[in-house]
Amino acid sequence: MMDLARFDPRPKMLLVLCISTLAVVWHDPVWLAGLLGSTVLVLMLGRVDPRSAARQVRGVLAAIAVLFIVQCVFVRSGDPLLSAGGVTLVTVDGVSVALGVSLRLLIVVCSALILLTGEARDYLLALVQCKVPYELAFMVMTAVHFLPILRGEAMDVYHAVQMRGTEIAKAGLGDKLRVYTRITLPIVAGAIKRAEQVSIAMEARAFRATPRRTFMRRLRLAPRDVASLIAVPLLAAAALAASLAA
Amino acid sequence: MIAVEDVSFAYGRTEAPVLDGFSASFAAGAVTAVTGGNGCGKTTLAKLIVGIERPLTGRVLVDGADIRPLSLAEIGRLVGCVYQNPTHQLFCTSVREEMAYGLRNLGLAEPEIAERTGHYLRYFDLLAHLEDFPPALSHGEKQRLMLAVVLSMRPGCVVLDEPTTGLDVVRRRALGAYLREVADDGVGVIVVSHERSFVARYADAEVRMADRRRAGSEDGPGPAAQRAAAGARGRG
Repeated sequence: MMDLARFDPRPKMLLVLCISTLAVVWHDPVWLAGLLGSTVLVLMLGRVDPRSAARQVRGVLAAIAVLFIVQCVFVRSGDPLLSAGGVTLVTVDGVSVALGVSLRLLIVVCSALILLTGEARDYLLALVQCKVPYELAFMVMTAVHFLPILRGEAMDVYHAVQMRGTEIAKAGLGDKLRVYTRITLPIVAGAIKRAEQVSIAMEARAFRATPRRTFMRRLRLAPRDVASLIAVPLLAAAALAASLAA
Repeated sequence: MIAVEDVSFAYGRTEAPVLDGFSASFAAGAVTAVTGGNGCGKTTLAKLIVGIERPLTGRVLVDGADIRPLSLAEIGRLVGCVYQNPTHQLFCTSVREEMAYGLRNLGLAEPEIAERTGHYLRYFDLLAHLEDFPPALSHGEKQRLMLAVVLSMRPGCVVLDEPTTGLDVVRRRALGAYLREVADDGVGVIVVSHERSFVARYADAEVRMADRRRAGSEDGPGPAAQRAAAGARGRG
């Protein structure tokens, strides 16, 4: 067993980068399923709380289901799989593409759970120590910090829309899409306003007042981190080579 | 009338309960204040009353009917709600559209929608903002707009979570006067607030919630003993 929380953020970021890259490069559902299985295995071995992980994944299952249906319906190439009255409803290619897209999204969500085993400030330090400009690293971390807030706001609007008489559960796909479009309006407006407020607050606290920023703490790589930094890209390259040869 | 009967609620299975065996009732045609310190569960109670959260045990009754089997849309016709931050409740591109959204869902005809929109926007002094973009309104205007939106749907009860946050004295008085008028029209008004002066001046009754951080300590009741203390209050 390896506790992911005890690893340095850098091998974890590299692992997520490799998994995400493979998920984007591969299109075959069989390889993607293998990658998903490997990611889940890493999570299990890494002592990620299965209940918390299941909760996170459950949150995107609806979106994945919608994506699956849309892909099944709109991909018209390939042999017919399901027809009604001479009209082809679903093709083999449609199901294959839909499976691929759904698995890809699941992989991205599961790999993101690896990052949740660390502290945001450690990732900031790791990015800076990887020579990423502090401003850029800070921006990324600030954006990540705001995600739960944006989620909370989205839920508020989602509830507000329903409380004004919209039966989302009973609505058709078109109506659901219209509701989700509505939900984005206050979220985007709020995000822009918050970005302005944060930038003013940062300027007021002398952000970028000195060209070089120093840190009290430095991240140090343990032997297991070094081993991971070497093994992860090698394994990813080997998997990619095997898929190309197959 | 709304009744909360022996309700318990926690945000996660492993979290300590926010409410534990809590009971209270809220009369129609009166302003009832829900008071208590930070983190005592006032907002959670409001969310339970409007159906955003569902109790783990116990029940919430609106006019004698349990709201558990109802959808949020169905509860919304019985109980209106204005969040502490009304920005999160405004999702249309104009004040006119914001007013019409819920009324259309009620199945009202366009002349009736126009009539109610005009009436409530005039009442809340917002007629000049008819075509304005709601997120661009001031905090007080957003709050009044949400009150107009909620009241135009004519629910039997309205829940307001910390409505005085960010309001100056003049706007606070105006809000209090609006709430009194609304209550006098027979609507039950539940105001979640920790502002003593506002409560003392405008509430008919008060439901005081125990501070759960002190629960079990020498000077506070345990969670199981948490109960609402409701008492009549003058309008001042």
